[in-house]
Amino acid sequence: MSGQVKGNGPRFKNNVKISERHGAGEWLAERVLLVVVLPLGLWVASTAFTLAGAGYDAVQDWFANRLNAGLLALTAVVFFGYVSVAWKVILEDYVPQPGTRKALVALLNLVFLVLAAASVFFIVRMALGSAPLPAGFGA
Amino acid sequence: MTQPSPTSGGASSDRTGRFVTQPNGHVTPLSPHMGIWRWHVTMAASILFRATVIAATVGALIVVAWLGALAFGPDAYATALATAGSPLGLFVGFGLTVVLFSFILNGTRHTINDTGNGLTIKSSTILSRIAVWAPVPLAILFWVVLFAVGRVSL
Repeated sequence: MSGQVKGNGPRFKNNVKISERHGAGEWLAERVLLVVVLPLGLWVASTAFTLAGAGYDAVQDWFANRLNAGLLALTAVVFFGYVSVAWKVILEDYVPQPGTRKALVALLNLVFLVLAAASVFFIVRMALGSAPLPAGFGA
Repeated sequence: MTQPSPTSGGASSDRTGRFVTQPNGHVTPLSPHMGIWRWHVTMAASILFRATVIAATVGALIVVAWLGALAFGPDAYATALATAGSPLGLFVGFGLTVVLFSFILNGTRHTINDTGNGLTIKSSTILSRIAVWAPVPLAILFWVVLFAVGRVSL
């Protein structure tokens, strides 16, 4: 980023804005992730119905099924991947300052990465029937 | 391959006087802003999808908290279940199902439109109306059945 006012405008190659050349990849990633999330969303709705009000043992049995645990982990990873791109698009529209925008995008990506990792961690522990936390972490 | 001229049928028949010349020389209509765009349900569906993504992110935080409570054992889960079963918890739960159905339906509309389908005035209006309104009756049905089968009670 140069400090010159004139250097900050859009750059062109053969009269086509450079961002128009690679912007499609991000758009396509957002669309593909959404297409994967949608059927998983239906499955989440049916799962929410199954597990609503369920006791601890019933939920534990549900997680013991590897298909359930695997689909839930997949949902967590793909969903947070999707919202990462979706939030970037929202920030690009509403935060005009490049520095603030990049900082916010980076911060949200970090948050979503941590949330996805925490989800998978919790899901794996439930699927394996691990002792309740903080077992294994000094307790 | 020749590109269609962006000016054909556009600026010449401009009734708004709001065409702008882009930096690359293309003459295009100014992007819609709230102040100059006639209200239509497609517009509501579009902005609602953004709101839904934001709300779904909040919902995901609650789901991760639920997963955490499970991983921390039966006592933590009992606390989480009691919170979810409280009047406020049920209200938030209802909101989350609205968000979930909104995400599914509006995301489907978005995907259909992105593949170039359903873009006539009639079909895009129908798709948008479904995406905007259907989540509410679906969520009500979801909770009515949950209460009816006794899974959830006040």
